[in-house]
Amino acid sequence: MTCALVFALLATTVTPRAQTQEFDLLIKNGHVIDAKNGVNAVTDVAVAGGKIARVAANIDPKLARRVVDASGLYVVPGLIDMHAHVFYGTERDAYLSNGESAVPPDSHSFRAGQTTLVDVGGAGWRNFGQFKEQVIDRARTRVLSFINIVGSGMKGGPVEQNLADMDARLTAMRIKQHPGVIVGIKVAHYSGPEWDPVDRAVAAGKEMNVPVMIDFGGHTPPLGLDDLLLKHLRPGDILTHTYAHVAGRIPIVDDNGKVRPYVWEARKRGVIFDAGHGGGSFLFRQAVPATKEGFFPDVISTDLHTGSMNSGMKDILNTMSKFLNLGMPLNDVIKANTAKAADVIKRPDLGHIGVGAEADIAVLNLRKGKFGFVDIAGGKLLGDQKLECELTVRAGQVVWDLNGIAAPMWTDLPRK
Amino acid sequence: MKQALAFLLSVVAAVGWAQAPAQPALDYDLLIKGGHVIDPRNGIDAVRDVAVKDGRVAAVASSLDASKALKTVDASGLYVTPGLVDIHVHVYPGPKTNDYAGGDSSIYPDGFTLRSCVTTVTDAGSSGWRNFDDFKSRIVDQAKTRVTAFLNIVGNGMGSGPIEQNLADMEMQPTADMALKHKGLIVGIKSAHFNGPEWTPYEKAVEVGRLAKIPVMVDFGGNVKAGRTLDDLFGKYFRPGDIYTHMYGGVRGEQDPETKGPSKAMIDGRKRGIIFDVGHGGTSFRWSTAMPLMKAGFLPDSISTDLHTTSMNAGMKDMLNVMGKFMAAGLSLRDVIAKSTWNPAREIQLEELGNLSVGSPGDIAVLRVEKGKFGFVDPLGGRMDSSQRLSCEITLRDGKVVYDLNGLTAERWDTLTSGARGGDPRWDNTRGRRR
Repeated sequence: MTCALVFALLATTVTPRAQTQEFDLLIKNGHVIDAKNGVNAVTDVAVAGGKIARVAANIDPKLARRVVDASGLYVVPGLIDMHAHVFYGTERDAYLSNGESAVPPDSHSFRAGQTTLVDVGGAGWRNFGQFKEQVIDRARTRVLSFINIVGSGMKGGPVEQNLADMDARLTAMRIKQHPGVIVGIKVAHYSGPEWDPVDRAVAAGKEMNVPVMIDFGGHTPPLGLDDLLLKHLRPGDILTHTYAHVAGRIPIVDDNGKVRPYVWEARKRGVIFDAGHGGGSFLFRQAVPATKEGFFPDVISTDLHTGSMNSGMKDILNTMSKFLNLGMPLNDVIKANTAKAADVIKRPDLGHIGVGAEADIAVLNLRKGKFGFVDIAGGKLLGDQKLECELTVRAGQVVWDLNGIAAPMWTDLPRK
Repeated sequence: MKQALAFLLSVVAAVGWAQAPAQPALDYDLLIKGGHVIDPRNGIDAVRDVAVKDGRVAAVASSLDASKALKTVDASGLYVTPGLVDIHVHVYPGPKTNDYAGGDSSIYPDGFTLRSCVTTVTDAGSSGWRNFDDFKSRIVDQAKTRVTAFLNIVGNGMGSGPIEQNLADMEMQPTADMALKHKGLIVGIKSAHFNGPEWTPYEKAVEVGRLAKIPVMVDFGGNVKAGRTLDDLFGKYFRPGDIYTHMYGGVRGEQDPETKGPSKAMIDGRKRGIIFDVGHGGTSFRWSTAMPLMKAGFLPDSISTDLHTTSMNAGMKDMLNVMGKFMAAGLSLRDVIAKSTWNPAREIQLEELGNLSVGSPGDIAVLRVEKGKFGFVDPLGGRMDSSQRLSCEITLRDGKVVYDLNGLTAERWDTLTSGARGGDPRWDNTRGRRR
């Protein structure tokens, strides 16, 4: 027995191996778009130990345990969705904060090429711990958070109108406990005439050096969008629902079909404009004239929740494809949800596939054909291209493979 | 945004819809024209128009008059079938860890069903009589999807670890009482994952099935280790109409050890009237089992997903992907549709579903057969190539659009006046999460 074992070990060690397989995964011949590292060309990407190990042309397939042929496909950093609602739970009438209007992240992320979802405002400082334990720590998706300026989070109704529960100091303290996970502060749904929610969020944001994201609207009487963009927000702060036209918020495109001058001015001073599509916040009547003028979004997010997922929004690739068909170049569309999004949330480690980065990768197919895209008013734009996710890699692991491009033929598997 | 949206919608309701000229009562709310209808219940496999009114199928005919419909959709080149029926899913999510019964192994139905043209699912035993009320109030009553259930013979349902092995929690009377109280919603009894040598779970499940006049579905658990055989299950315990799921799992005696085709127990079971269901899941569909069985003619009665968190992003993905596998294996579209509509509807004794008979609920799928190069992976990581796949263009539940991939029912955006919205509540329910 001992002899046999020794012999077996010897046999294993002395068997000459052609070459060491230093890579776990090699994605060959895809068109890589990595804006941060200035790559926009057909090349190969190799992964080892969960990290990007090499990006170069003609990497020898013998060096990899698994090889994917990505010819004709785009290989990009795993997509970041800057505006999602994933603090799902079972509390009655809790809306997007431990309620059933939020969705489980893994159900929607990987199939759309997303490796990072940013929950915006589901949790406040009071219940962030529950969010972390219940969702963030359990998801395979990387889940980050914009903490709500409301301590109790986005529970709807009077909870979100309670100025007494909007505490900049306590919000900042919670952020300090979770650097890099809480990456910003959210203000949403407040309908009073005061600027306090915005100003307190900005105060906490200044203290912790994180951006704030504003869902603006519903104020009675309305507050000035120009005041918000030019006076209250800092460069790097974010207006979401850019192409919305809702009660109590001035739309960015005026009655003559022109983007308001102060909106352009805000962009020049560095305010970030996020799509935040959602169930009620994206109208072609706004987006078409705005984009004709060149006013494309900085980041293209979904505002994913149960009310948007089966409507015109659907998923991030459908939302990104809307902007492709509105004339936004593919490179810019990809950059928005990779390098730019990472920059906005001050996570420079994300949104790129340089050597050493965690291997979060999306392999996308740009389909040509006849497609239709619907906005929140039920209006349709016809288009001829649409993104589809072939393969998603999270920390070096294949977590989605639509057509089995990373899989061998079943007849080639070793028989048991 | 919630309040703002509600306000916007109320304004739109007042302005947009009210501006529409008063119309005489029309015969149809929605008319789907020119699609190829596959309705196995009624033997239809031809181009037909399909109309719905007040939530039900109103007419199916070669040519229906578009002027009689509030809304007409052109479905040329597409297939129009009954809404798909997936009788093996796990949709009872909640805060527990590694648990199907109110835990994170289950998923919310609406994120997977409607975009896959599935209108009815049957939760396969996630809940038992002790937690069915919670499942009903949190999921069944909230979902846009029609959610039915196999009630677990285990009172606590599909809990993790010892919970499913607890023979003392398999009580017939309360299980039967709950099933009878929710006739038509609880459509069967489930036994799953049992690892002991006893036949108790199966005896009790079948007895409850007799009391409630509903079928049982069995995931045969650790039968080989425990010494239980398929032949005994089918011959001594199952009634005709009882359902064996995970039929291509390949680890419980489904295959003849020599030929790799169906075992004698499977062949005899089918002769006895046992129903065979796919239940793909995270581990229960192997090409190396399915292909030899299918080559020998042993096809599924019903195609189902076993949707849960570990199958959803793996080889299973969704109902259409699983159906695509059977097309890749050589089955006709008509057969695949039959096994995903009328067959499962009959298995769960809901014969008003899975068909397009006039008067049936307006649960309708509009499908596209896409041509190209596609691949389908099994849980062992093996791929089968195919030249086609199915995609879901439109889903109707109770006569209303609940999913519209390419906006076939939508108006061009520049034809809508400012503040107006397309759609009409009589046929459009794509917005919001509630029915």
